[in-house]
Amino acid sequence: MEVAMDPLFLAWSYFRRRKLQQCSDICTKILQDNPYDQAAWSLKTRALTEMVYIDEVEVDQEGIAEMMLDESFIAQVARPGTSLRLPGTSQGGGPSPAVRPMTQSGRPITGFVRPSTQSGRPGTMEQAIKTPRTASTARPVTSASGRFTRLGTASMLTNPDGPFINLSRLNLAKYSQKPNLSRTLFEYIFHHENDVKNVSVALYLQQKELVNITLQDFDCCNKNVLFHQALDLAAQATEHAQFRDWWWKVQLGKCYYRLGLYREAEKQFQSALNHQEVVDTYLYLAKVYQRLDQPVTALNLFKQGLDHFPGEVTLLTGIARIHEEMNNISSATEYYKDVLKQDNTHVEAIACIGSSHFYTDQPEIALRFYRRLLQMGVYNCQLYNNLGLCCFYAQQYDMTLSSFERALALVANDEEQADVWYNIGHVAVGIGELTLAYQCFKLALAFNNDHAEAYNNLAVLELRKGRIEQSKAYLQTAASLCPHMYEPHFNLSILCETIGDLQSSYTAAQKSEDAFPEHVDTQQLLKQLRQHFAVL
Amino acid sequence: MGEFSKVFVLLTPTGQLSMEDVPTMVLCKPKLLPLKSVTLEKLEKMQIEAQETVKKQELALKEHYYQQIAPE
Repeated sequence: MEVAMDPLFLAWSYFRRRKLQQCSDICTKILQDNPYDQAAWSLKTRALTEMVYIDEVEVDQEGIAEMMLDESFIAQVARPGTSLRLPGTSQGGGPSPAVRPMTQSGRPITGFVRPSTQSGRPGTMEQAIKTPRTASTARPVTSASGRFTRLGTASMLTNPDGPFINLSRLNLAKYSQKPNLSRTLFEYIFHHENDVKNVSVALYLQQKELVNITLQDFDCCNKNVLFHQALDLAAQATEHAQFRDWWWKVQLGKCYYRLGLYREAEKQFQSALNHQEVVDTYLYLAKVYQRLDQPVTALNLFKQGLDHFPGEVTLLTGIARIHEEMNNISSATEYYKDVLKQDNTHVEAIACIGSSHFYTDQPEIALRFYRRLLQMGVYNCQLYNNLGLCCFYAQQYDMTLSSFERALALVANDEEQADVWYNIGHVAVGIGELTLAYQCFKLALAFNNDHAEAYNNLAVLELRKGRIEQSKAYLQTAASLCPHMYEPHFNLSILCETIGDLQSSYTAAQKSEDAFPEHVDTQQLLKQLRQHFAVL
Repeated sequence: MGEFSKVFVLLTPTGQLSMEDVPTMVLCKPKLLPLKSVTLEKLEKMQIEAQETVKKQELALKEHYYQQIAPE
């Protein structure tokens, strides 16, 4: 006779082995037989949450709405070193655009990309619409909450009977009284349904519930206390109850953050920290400060956190990230090195140090870092592309092309493929094979029509062939795609100057100067042009 | 040797050597590709999956619709 395993136990086992779909299916069956089985209900809620769970610390995507309608800044022009908005305001240590390329949103590229580093902070509406692309869609993020809602609705679509929990029919007050169900329910609503409003209501009720409990306790003890005194004490009891559970405060803060109420979120996180020191709370609070564009406060907070949790990797990484975003790459690298002292397999730290070595003319050392990543089992297109570049510039020519071949084999989307071909084009330029280079840049454009760098390089090659009009057209395209890059402006300026169009040359040179004020050649060109005009 | 003696020596042993600095076009720099964080990869995966589900459902809906109007 076959002995069947207890279905709930089996479901629990599936959950632990992260076979979430199976777990959820079994729970559904149990719930069909007995709709009031709280254990199965709770387990299914957790399984569904885990399916779409993303680390809330990492998720920080600013949509256009958040960026353009931001009212939290104090000054239009921040003092140097106090803002994340102006990448150029760092004092020293920043990479020059002459050696380090920029992302589409005009920040120097780093070794690692997170959801929050993708969008950047564009200055104008036009740029905002153009640049911040989500991971794979060509459409910009309209608002941060939009994406979460979309993911949530998509997960519901898979269920033909409608959503698992019908939130509008749920009596949140009832659930908030059950601490064993309320937390899983909260996480379900927050991560799976992404319904922040309902969650906040739940939280509110939860806190009210705590107040009620204390009031009852209070009533039992002091039945004879006068009403107005009770009221006074109730206010204190409220405070007391709220200080009781730090977890709910952190959740409340998360909800406020999602709703864009940053000051309220800050209050919640701070009082949660007063109650109990948790690393996560520090990270959430720092996220709030970064959103409020107060990097210095965030840095102080991280340091405060490090006093309580010495050597904590996530806090150190947070500091390094802020330095990096403020364009202070050298101190970011210092902190990443500290991270590696604690955790020598930290992918982000290794990648960032590697890229900073590469762009400070030490490709051999960068190669060692990227090789380390390869040894650790990172196996993707980006890594092989970086290895290929490092090998080429470290003069290990035997490995270069095979690395690029692997990178091309591992490509996941067209943008990546365009970048790899663009880099192969560089190798071709380096060995003087200009026909191959030309083809590579053309291929990069075939895969990604917005690749401004490829347009610029193609223009340089076209000019070598003597096709002035074609070259000019490419340069103009590159300049309009990426106005923050100085190369297309500068090249256009030289081109116009050689064909005698001094006025266009001067305007282009001025744009180049705006993009890269320290560029000596631009300065000389401008000086020369001014002399010309003076003579006229 | 006679040919070489005809060559006019431009460099003088004394005085300054000057060179005209002609600005040249600049290439954009090679681009190291940033690695993706785990969260980002998961987000991308979830987004692609969601898009596929929606597509499948739309297809199913269309087929259903055509089946309904086909007999007429």
